[in-house]
Amino acid sequence: MAADPMVEEAAGRAFGDLAAKWHAGAMRREELVRRIEALGFGAALPSWPDAAAILRAQARSAAPVDMALLLVTRDPAAAIAYDPECYDGGGAAPRLQAPAAAALALGRLLQVTGALEAALELSLGYVQERRQFGRPLAKFQAIQHQLAVAAEEIAACTVAADLALACAASEGVGSARAARLLDCATLVANRAVDVAYDACHQVHGAMGFTREYALHRHSLDLLRWRDELLALRGGELAAAERLGGAALEAGGAWRTVTALMTPEREKGS
Amino acid sequence: MRFRFPVADLPPECAALREEVRGFLAEELAAGRWRRGGDFATHYDAGFSRRLGSRGWLGMTWPRKYGGSERSMLERLVVTEEVLAASAPVAAHWIADRQSGPLLLRYGTEAQREAFLPGIAHGEIFFSIGMSEPDSGSDLASVRTRAAKADGGWRIRGQKVWTSFAHLNHYAIVLARTGEAGASRHAGLSQFIVDLKAADVKVRPILNMPGQREFNEVVFLDAFVPQDRVVGAIGDGWQQVTSELALERSGPERYLSSIRLIEAALAAAGAGASPRLREALGRAVARLAALRAMSIAVASELQRGATPQLEAALVKDLGNSFEREQIAVFRALRTELPAGGPDYASALAETTLYSPSWTLRGGTREILRGMVARGLGLR
Repeated sequence: MAADPMVEEAAGRAFGDLAAKWHAGAMRREELVRRIEALGFGAALPSWPDAAAILRAQARSAAPVDMALLLVTRDPAAAIAYDPECYDGGGAAPRLQAPAAAALALGRLLQVTGALEAALELSLGYVQERRQFGRPLAKFQAIQHQLAVAAEEIAACTVAADLALACAASEGVGSARAARLLDCATLVANRAVDVAYDACHQVHGAMGFTREYALHRHSLDLLRWRDELLALRGGELAAAERLGGAALEAGGAWRTVTALMTPEREKGS
Repeated sequence: MRFRFPVADLPPECAALREEVRGFLAEELAAGRWRRGGDFATHYDAGFSRRLGSRGWLGMTWPRKYGGSERSMLERLVVTEEVLAASAPVAAHWIADRQSGPLLLRYGTEAQREAFLPGIAHGEIFFSIGMSEPDSGSDLASVRTRAAKADGGWRIRGQKVWTSFAHLNHYAIVLARTGEAGASRHAGLSQFIVDLKAADVKVRPILNMPGQREFNEVVFLDAFVPQDRVVGAIGDGWQQVTSELALERSGPERYLSSIRLIEAALAAAGAGASPRLREALGRAVARLAALRAMSIAVASELQRGATPQLEAALVKDLGNSFEREQIAVFRALRTELPAGGPDYASALAETTLYSPSWTLRGGTREILRGMVARGLGLR
């Protein structure tokens, strides 16, 4: 989905700056809330392509601001009312009405793609720098193939999220087709998180398993957002069974795939 | 992200075409003119290929003067998606339509285009790939088959292997060494159109594991190839071969190989499908949608004239992983199906038996992951 690079860059800078100050203890909570409000993203829901750019940029910067919740609820206080260093496995999602729940699910999906890309980029940099047995880790085929597989799953996740995003932008996030595409993307993202969480930590060795190094922030984001995404769709199994039920109703898996990827305006023509 | 897969809807004209192809396939299937196969690349039926050709569904993107229909890459994609999703017998025309024809269109002489393209588009001329040799598989640049200049053309000496349907097809595009390899190892290679029925070309069978005569060993006994059968420029073979790869790797055949098993399980279960089966179907649908969007993105790039080789390699590896995993998933669901789904058993047998070839042909898993790693800046 084409996003405005200016929006993305501005959002990335703004959140990167906020993140640095928040982390350094140089900003109080009230100040952070005020600054988020000043960014203007809480005032009105931007178009989906712009929202996607903001969400991906925030996820890449790992700024401790829950932009997806902010965009859906427009409540800056809620957007920082969580501990970014914590993953408790609770799997709870905020109680929201139907279109808002779908909007938050799409937001989480976009954040997951941003965090996956950030984790992969960090890993690609690390394996070029870290040397063992006299050469960079990047030169070992076992390392190359692990990261290649992770990159493939991340690419699939990004495409699946883009399909849902395009449908939300054209037919509405609460439309029946957007719901199916959100289910698809949720399942694809779930797998991508598993594969990338494994590979990115594996190639980082013990360094990735610390609170000093940046990877843990992306990992904790991924784990939290993934669980919440699944919860917003009623759980992984429910999402899969819904899609399977649709395939049975349509009388074919392939028919279902082509139908759910065809815009409503072109159906029945 | 370092790979580009811009999501795009298919143009509106594709919807009507898809229904037309589905109607044709359903009618043919009902009339018993073909049966569903377990592997697109080995399900061979020259009559079916001719009927597709007479519909204008081969060589679809080529100029009308060469027998084509001047349709877009995306319309061609619709036809390939539907014939593959139906597990129709496409092996006879597949290579000619997908890569030999486009190669000749791009690098061939006017006379070659006129001589071969209409026959391919009508489903009457079939091609094999003459790349692999006994000592050259993934390391294609190491080929040793040589072509030496002779009066009026070239004499080819050497041996190709794993040449699918060389005993049934009419021609092979043979990659041979015509000069020194050079430091890059990619210099000095050339491509030739070789008549597989010629007396100085020996085609010997090799049975594949399922027991089908698919593969062949092809021996060239100083086989004479006239000058007008050289493809492109002498010495440009490597660049020409690699240009075929984006076409070869990103198509729906790289993620639909096990669709027959999925559809057979769905048909056998019907409305009373168990939650486990629904779950497996749903997981397959989700990943099929993502893979299809990636494949469409690559086709759109090809339509724009780009050659997205890295993206094509990525889609093939991901698609191959998906289609192989489905076999284990749907095998486990056997006891969830009521007895009397006969197509399930044959679909399971055929997909299982043919699946090792999926991650070998058209670039092994190892080669593809190496290419993706190069795209990531790791090599």
